[in-house]
Amino acid sequence: MATVAAPVEKVRPPWVSNLGGQLFSVLLAFVVALFIGALIIIGYGENPLTVYGTLVRFAFKDVDSFGYVLQIATPLIFSALAIAVCFKGGLFNIGVEGQYLVGMLTASWAALTFDFLPGPLLMWTALLFAMLGGMIWAAIPAVLKVKTGAHEVVTTIMLNGIAVNLLGWALNGPLKYRQEGGQVAARTANFKDNALVPDLGHLFGMRESVHLSWLLPLGFVAAAIVWFVIRRMRLGYEARAVGSTPGSARAGGISVGAVQIKLFMLSGALAGLIGMQQLLADKGYLPVNFVSQLGFTGIAVAFLGQNNPVGIVAASVVWGVLSRGESALQLETDVPREFVIILQGILILSVMVIYQITRRRLARRQLQAAAVVEQVPEAA
Amino acid sequence: MPFEDIAVAVQIAFTYYTVIYLTGIGGLFSERSGIVNIGLEGLMVVGTVTGSFGTYYFSTKLGLGVPMGPILGLLFGMACGALFALVHALATITFRVDQIVSGVVINLVAIGLARFLSTLFFGQATQSDPGQPHLTPWDIPGLSSLPWGLGRAFSGLSPVVPVAFLVVIPVTFVLYRTRWGLRLRSAGENPEATRSLGVRVAPLRYVGVLLSGAFAGLSGAFLSVEVVYNWREGQTLGLGFIALAALILSNWNPKRLMWAAFLFGFAQAIPLRLADAPLIREIPDNFIRMTPYVVTIVVLAGFVGRVRPPAAAGRAYESAGGV
Repeated sequence: MATVAAPVEKVRPPWVSNLGGQLFSVLLAFVVALFIGALIIIGYGENPLTVYGTLVRFAFKDVDSFGYVLQIATPLIFSALAIAVCFKGGLFNIGVEGQYLVGMLTASWAALTFDFLPGPLLMWTALLFAMLGGMIWAAIPAVLKVKTGAHEVVTTIMLNGIAVNLLGWALNGPLKYRQEGGQVAARTANFKDNALVPDLGHLFGMRESVHLSWLLPLGFVAAAIVWFVIRRMRLGYEARAVGSTPGSARAGGISVGAVQIKLFMLSGALAGLIGMQQLLADKGYLPVNFVSQLGFTGIAVAFLGQNNPVGIVAASVVWGVLSRGESALQLETDVPREFVIILQGILILSVMVIYQITRRRLARRQLQAAAVVEQVPEAA
Repeated sequence: MPFEDIAVAVQIAFTYYTVIYLTGIGGLFSERSGIVNIGLEGLMVVGTVTGSFGTYYFSTKLGLGVPMGPILGLLFGMACGALFALVHALATITFRVDQIVSGVVINLVAIGLARFLSTLFFGQATQSDPGQPHLTPWDIPGLSSLPWGLGRAFSGLSPVVPVAFLVVIPVTFVLYRTRWGLRLRSAGENPEATRSLGVRVAPLRYVGVLLSGAFAGLSGAFLSVEVVYNWREGQTLGLGFIALAALILSNWNPKRLMWAAFLFGFAQAIPLRLADAPLIREIPDNFIRMTPYVVTIVVLAGFVGRVRPPAAAGRAYESAGGV
């Protein structure tokens, strides 16, 4: 057995096979989801190809329509990035939901309190306070986890519940809008114009009602920063070490607790920016019926983008295309608009399952390769 | 009449108790078998819409009338909850997807699924027609005639409420006095040991998760059929998460869960009925509503008492031979 050939190494850089594998599993998940969706469409007596065609065509039919898609995608980029940052370190930040709600609260307070600030300074202050709010709300589970071992999933679920009530209280109390003449409404007063994020859509000839803003490029910047932190900075290396094997990371001299707290802080800052699209671009005030659930949707988008910053940007746009397609279904087919949410759900479930299966196969293959390598010296 | 106000608050608390306890028992079965289920809220949502439809279908469409229609409606909501929980079971047990991720997806999908089913059932996306048939409210004999208005607490209750109090007996018996209950708990504590004794883990966990869907579905159906008398979007109000909180406070014990569920139920009832009482008047409603979450964090952090979740909950069981 002395002539055992060493396993043939494929000369492919690891990131190529990694990326190829990830793309393949996402595409496979898409095919599976579209197939299951097709069965439902057939149940409604429609042609799946027509319905899917309508969905996609509607998103790209004119510049306004695509503007809406990007408007939907903007908060999802921040949300999915916030999830991914923690996920890299093996942490599950379900609290992104609560963190962005608190971020909206602190940003509203700042925009109303510091309204004397000139020019874009007010907007930057509001954005800063949004991040601070998210970070404060993320600090609680982080510190509790490191100091007391309380599991972050459960504490963040509870903090989400507290955040909802905190907003309810603020909108009926300190931030309540009091118009002249004694009328009150459960919303904040309008922010000054220089608190708002400047519009981007008009540069491309989009109409007024499309609120595509400079937050989208900010989202790209955030994605680039996350990529840089995870791939090029020490924190990213430590995060990946803690995420894969906390024991070895600790043995290697990494302070696990410090890494976890830093990741939660970064995640919270990103989460704080989720609500800025509706606060500083869509509305210009905080309404009582604010859009919620964006933090949870971010988990789905992060998985669709395989926790990779570039993937997340792409996944957010895909999610936007699907969500935008709801109206198309309502207008042009017999399939109810809620079909889109079902399709999104099926898509995420199949991404999760296929991701899990491919990861298992990969682990098994690595195990086999390792076993072969171990046998060689024995045989010699 | 301060007594009467308190009594009415207690009566409202009984309703909340029923929702929280039933859902909590569902979570208990799932987590005791080793599968964390944070999708309870979503399972309840499915229970609300299907329970409401079942009641409409059986009592009005099939003409079965009042006692039978709502009962079948509640059971239908229960069955649909279990069916939806099958998704969580398949994902986490068969495909070993992360249990938290799957639970989040359950919650997300449930909102869309409820609207989808609602357009199918009622022709409108976010509610059914109000004033649906329901079980006749019931006065508990003896207790409902207590003096000083205290009897109000025990009158006009849905017949499901006493069921939610009595269900602790069969649940405790099954969990602690039967072989199956022992095996279910062992699957949640040490699945490898369970397997080494020749007991298959996956079927136990499947039943645990399906039971969580059934109880959460029943709880949701109770909300729409017996409390609100129609389906409305968002009527679960995050009570699934409060049930999760109660489950933690109870240390995963069905008897202690009764106390936790009543405590949290009462916290929900205070702003509705005792908002004008002295002292409470000074505290904003929202702060009272957030007490369950705060209490749970304090307990989890170990500042007061200690709780210990089932040891293997959250961990996928890797079997050697595919069983």
